[in-house]
Parts: sequence; C-alpha cells; structure tokens
Amino acid sequence: MNSSIFNNSMPLSSEDLVTSQVAVHKLSQAKVSQDYVIKGVDPGDAEIANFLFTLGCFKGETITLISVLSESYVVSIKDARYSIGSDLAQAVLL
Amino acid sequence: MIIVIVIINKRTFILKIALAGNPNSGKSTLFNALTGKTARVGNWAGVTVNKKEGLVKTTFNKTDAEIIVVDLPGAYSMSPFSSEEAITRDFVKTEKPEVILNIVDATNLSRSLFFTTQLLELNIPVVVALNKSDLTKSKNTVIDTQTLSKLLGCPVVETTSTKSSKNGLDSLLSTAVELTGKQQSAPFVSDGIDLSNAKLVEDSDIKRFEFVKNIVENVEQRQVKNNRHTMQDTVDRVIANKWLGLPVFALIMWSVFSISQTHLGPILADLLVGWIDAFYGMVEGLLGSEVSPVLGALLLDGIIGGVGAVVGFLPLIMVLFFLLALLEDCGYMARVAVIMDRFFKHLGLSGKSIIPMVIGTGCAIPGIMATRTIQNERQRRTTAMLTPFMPCGAKLPVIALFAGVFFNDAAWVGTSMYFMGIAIITFGAWVVVRITGEKNARSFFIMELPEYRIPSIKLALVSTLSRAKSFIIKAGTIILLCNAVVQVMQTFNWQFEVVAEGSAGTSILASVASPFALVLIPLGFGVWQLAAAAITGFIAKENVVGTLAVVYGISNFIDTEELALISGGSDVASIMGLSSVAALSYLIFNLFTPPCFAALGAMNSEMEDKKWLWAGIAFQFGMGYVVAFTAYQAGTLITTGTLGQGFIYGLAVTMMLIGTLLYFMYKGESVAQQKLTTYNA
Repeated sequence: MNSSIFNNSMPLSSEDLVTSQVAVHKLSQAKVSQDYVIKGVDPGDAEIANFLFTLGCFKGETITLISVLSESYVVSIKDARYSIGSDLAQAVLL
Repeated sequence: MIIVIVIINKRTFILKIALAGNPNSGKSTLFNALTGKTARVGNWAGVTVNKKEGLVKTTFNKTDAEIIVVDLPGAYSMSPFSSEEAITRDFVKTEKPEVILNIVDATNLSRSLFFTTQLLELNIPVVVALNKSDLTKSKNTVIDTQTLSKLLGCPVVETTSTKSSKNGLDSLLSTAVELTGKQQSAPFVSDGIDLSNAKLVEDSDIKRFEFVKNIVENVEQRQVKNNRHTMQDTVDRVIANKWLGLPVFALIMWSVFSISQTHLGPILADLLVGWIDAFYGMVEGLLGSEVSPVLGALLLDGIIGGVGAVVGFLPLIMVLFFLLALLEDCGYMARVAVIMDRFFKHLGLSGKSIIPMVIGTGCAIPGIMATRTIQNERQRRTTAMLTPFMPCGAKLPVIALFAGVFFNDAAWVGTSMYFMGIAIITFGAWVVVRITGEKNARSFFIMELPEYRIPSIKLALVSTLSRAKSFIIKAGTIILLCNAVVQVMQTFNWQFEVVAEGSAGTSILASVASPFALVLIPLGFGVWQLAAAAITGFIAKENVVGTLAVVYGISNFIDTEELALISGGSDVASIMGLSSVAALSYLIFNLFTPPCFAALGAMNSEMEDKKWLWAGIAFQFGMGYVVAFTAYQAGTLITTGTLGQGFIYGLAVTMMLIGTLLYFMYKGESVAQQKLTTYNA
C-alpha cells in the first residue's frame, strides 16, 4: 500500500534501486557533513510526509547529515536541526 | 491551563491579539514578558499545550483599551498534524483576533516564513516579531528588516524576548495597536485551492517555499552556515552519544535529586520546620488550659500538626522544581528524548515519552499535559497513563517519612522506588502494545534540536515560586480540610461523643476505614489508620503524611537537631505497629496506585476516551495492589520464614488481575494478526 505523493517518478522497491540507472542513496547511507539534494520521501504515511514537508524536507531541497548518534540521525534542513529515527532516515531518498 | 481574566473596570474596549509562530520561537517568553504571567516555558518544541490568555501589563499598554494576548501552541503550518496545530488553526479562523503577532525565529527565517505567509492570507493584520535578534547579531547574520517588511506587506519589529529591557516589546505592541481595524494583503496567495486534493496542496506548498526562499535570499546574509558542524554539535556528540548518553543522563538526574533531597533541600526545610515548631508552641501557649481539649487537639494536632508535617517538605520539592526548570530551559531535554528513543522503541513508544516522565518527577499534572506533543494517539495515551508511576513531588514526603522511620534514612529506599517506577512503566508499555495489537505498527521519531542556551535563573525562580504558591494554597485548603475532617472523624464516634483514650477503634474514622482495611490485610497493613491515610492519599498524596500525623498524633517528622527526617523514629514505628517489610509494602502501595484526583483529571483530558481512562486507572490500581502484595509476602517469607496474613485471599485477587490482563493480551494478539494481514494486502 503506497500512497506517497512524492514518488511519481522514483523507484519504489529495493530491486528497482539496484537496477535503476540513477544512484540513489537513502539518508541512512549518507556521509556526514555533505550536502545532498532530496529526491523523494517515502514513509508510507501521508501525515508524516506532509509534516516533513512543512519543515522543508521534500523533493529538491538540500539536506545535510550532521552526525549519527546511537540510532538517530541529526540533520540540518532549512537552517534547523532535527533528530530523526532510523526508519525515517531510510525513507528519505537522496 | 486556560487563564480567564474577568475585566471589571472603566475600560470599554477589548483588543484581542493572538500570538502565533513556530515551536521554540520564543512565543511563550514573549507572552510572559508582555503579561507578567508565568506560562511554562521549556526549550524543547511543544511546551505550550493549551491556549493561554493574559492581559497586557499597563507598562506596555498605553491605550484606553484592555489588550488580551492569547498564546497559541507552536505550529509549523496551518495544515494540522498534531493537535496543537489544529488549535491554532481553529482559533485564528473562528475567534478572529484583531491582530496577529507572528513570532519568527530570526535564526531560521527560511522555515519560519512558511507559516507567516499562511497567516498573512487570513485578512487579519499581522505584525512580525523577529525574535532572538540577539542570537543573529552574535552570529553575524544580518537581516534587512525594511526589505523584509516590504516583501511581506506587514511591519517587522526586531525583538529579543529574553532581555528585560530594550527588547523591542514597546515598539511591537504599539505597532500592533496601530494596525487594529486595518486590512491585510497577502503577498502569496494559494488561490483558494481544494484542500482535499493532496497533489494540488503539495504543488501550492512548493511554490510557497520557493516564494519564501526568494525573500530570504533578498533579505538575509549569513556568516555561520547552519549545515556545518558547530560547537553545539560536538557537545551533542558527547551528550547524546550511544554509550555515554545514558550515564550522563543518569548522572544529571542523580545530581538533581541529590541536591534537592540531601543537600540544599533539607537545610531550607529545617529553617521552615523551626518556624512551624515555634508557631505550634506559641499557639499551644495561647490556648492554655481553658480551651477544651478537643478543640485544642483539632487546632494543634489536626491543623498545625497535619499541615505542618506536609509543608515542612516544601523546600525539598521546590529545589527539585527549580533544578528541573533549569534543565528544561537549557535545551537538554530534546537530547534526552533522542537518547531514550533507542529504548522506548522496543516498548512501542518513542523517545518523546521520556519528557512527560521527567516532568512527572516534579508533578504528574504538567507531565501528563506534556504528552500532548506526542502525535501517535496510542503512544500519547500510554504515556499519560504511565507517567504517574514516576514518584512525584507530592510523594516525596511519603517516601521520606517511611525511609526515615523504618529504614534509618537509607538512600536505597527512595532510589529503589524510582527504579520500581521505571520497571512498572516498562512493563505497562509492553502490556499496552500487546493489548492494542499494535506490536507490529511502525511509528516515526522526529525531534527538533534547539540550540543550547544558558538557562535563565530568573525564569526558573519565577516558575518555582508560582509552583510554591499553588502548593501552599493547596496545603492551606485541601490538605487543611482533609486533616481537619480526619481529626474530627477520629475524635468522635457516631453518637458524637468524644472517643475515650484507648478506644480509638470506635471512632467514625475507624468504622469508615475498616472495611477497606480488610482488603489490605494481604498486603500487610490491614489497619484502619493506614487504610484511612491511603484513602486520603487519593485526594492529594501529601495527605498520607498529614493523615498519619493526625491519626497517630505525631506532629513533627523533621528533627531540627540531627538534620534527619524523623523524630524518634522507633517511637513512630512502634506506634504504627508495622514491620519493615509491611512498611515497604505500604509505601509501594501509596506510590503506585492511581494518582491524586487532580492528576486523574489531567489524565481524563489527555485520554479523550473513557475506555482508556478507566483501563488506565484499573491498571494503576492493579499494579499497586499486586506489587505491594508481592513485596509483603515475599519479604515476610524471606525475613521470617512464613508467609504473611491473608496470603490466599491476596493470591486470589492477584491471580484474577493477572488473568484479566492475559485475556486482554490474548485478544490483542488476534487484533495484531489481523492488522498484519491488512498491511501485507
């Protein structure tokens, strides 16, 4: 069940990720202190997707991974710091 | 809490101003500065959980009108995600304030202005307060407020709500007043799109962000880039570290309790108790021998004694509140939530649940109210139900009393109670997940990490004093009343004759409490005096101490000479007639049964569901009973080799409770199976 509104042109399953031409990382695989452009968000929950949107976390925006603390990822989006859990980090595609 | 101001004076016109803005933008600090109130401020997004109103102080209000300011919960946008954002949206749309004061965090324009442009569309005059201007200056970020004002189409005033003077507030308020009755044009209009069409909303929002980005580029010049590592990030790496985080947190909490309970607290407490003693002596002297002994006892032991026993603990509780306030203000609590998420995840909760629980160590009521920021309904309700298991400030006197009287003030008594609370919370969360059948559900953790700041001593003091005030009021009313009633009920029998010495068992109180005492026999304290104290504990936990003081005629639990928390401990112990094991069991019972009525009221408003409320109360009562039972029976077995009284009955009750729990968990299992299949469909 997938109603995410951001993924019209994005590969959705892990097999697609492997076979697609474009190298797509998940935020959980990103390198620290490097800027990335968000290519899509897929948490499978429209409410969360909308919320992330209002923070500025959506397709086309820059996101930077500041550090990884235990299982949380500290990111910088639009000049603010957030700590997100690993499942959310895996949902942000770069 | 909603503070409603009744206006009875010659001012005829009332101007209503709404304070709206992102979480953590300094709204509440501004509210406090403007109104002189002490709305709770904490440095983690989501502290204002209810709408608060206040009258603007006359120092700022130079008009003939009364100006009411309403502090709304922080919101990132108008589309409701959490219930706080819904409150804001509905308020602004239905109550039509005359002016909206939009507090914008100057250190984060690009996110904040999203909400601003939405507010500008409401056709209510908006004034933007560019707050935290001191921080932008220290970071060498320059914001061109003139251009910003032009691009937004509304006045922009720089403010620093944490400063007490030259903070821009005068100018802010006068600008707001000037705008009354004017129109507001919106620089960005979403063209009345259909809000139910997600795609259209998304497109419109993207355009809105573009618009905002444009403005920010024109208006802001940064030196310090936010997406680079800063000093604070380095601090975070230590504080929220995978291995260090928890010990650091444990150390900090330990110091908070140590300072309030062992060092600073008792010193202040002794001062206070000294005064109470002196007062007692003075009244005793005044009464002389002509006053009837009944009245004398009522006044001295019932009122001064009972209330004094409780009030003597006030300094310890206040120091605790003060330290917790400092902790919240500096921004550390958000990091604690990050640390705790790892553990809470396994219980079906998120790290955010730790915050209500830490607040709950001061008082469960604000703790329960703080659960409002947890988006997931089940998690919110579970946390609200479990927060009271953390011993609150009102329970401290009870712990101190028993630790002092029966265990020679050993530190392990208090500490073990907190750990037991944690254990019960863990168990409770685990059980709830299984009962609701959501053990396979996912939920997401996201927490804004605000910048660390030096906590304001002044703010912490102010908030502590307001707590102290409400405690004293509570002591002077509810606790006083309870103690007086208990004293009366104890002194008279049903024929309203004074009960003779030695036949206390014929008093009203004894006959009322005895039935309950029967139920408590398996727990080791089936005595009517203790049952009565436990019952009054439901009204306010401090009453347990107060009632015991009245019922046993002990009026002073704090010894000023030895800085110890008992006066003739062994005397008290023999009067109560409890073994140490039974005493421990009694302590456990009082700590882990449902909290005071006020906290239950808070639970009721957070649960929003009677089923959950009653289930929560039943769970709390069940836990208190079972744990106390186990402690007493097991303890008696270990120390004396035989089981305590009433073992069979207690066992029967326990089995029944456990059986009910298992039944619900089993039902939940099938719900979970169902949900799993719908997920995979």
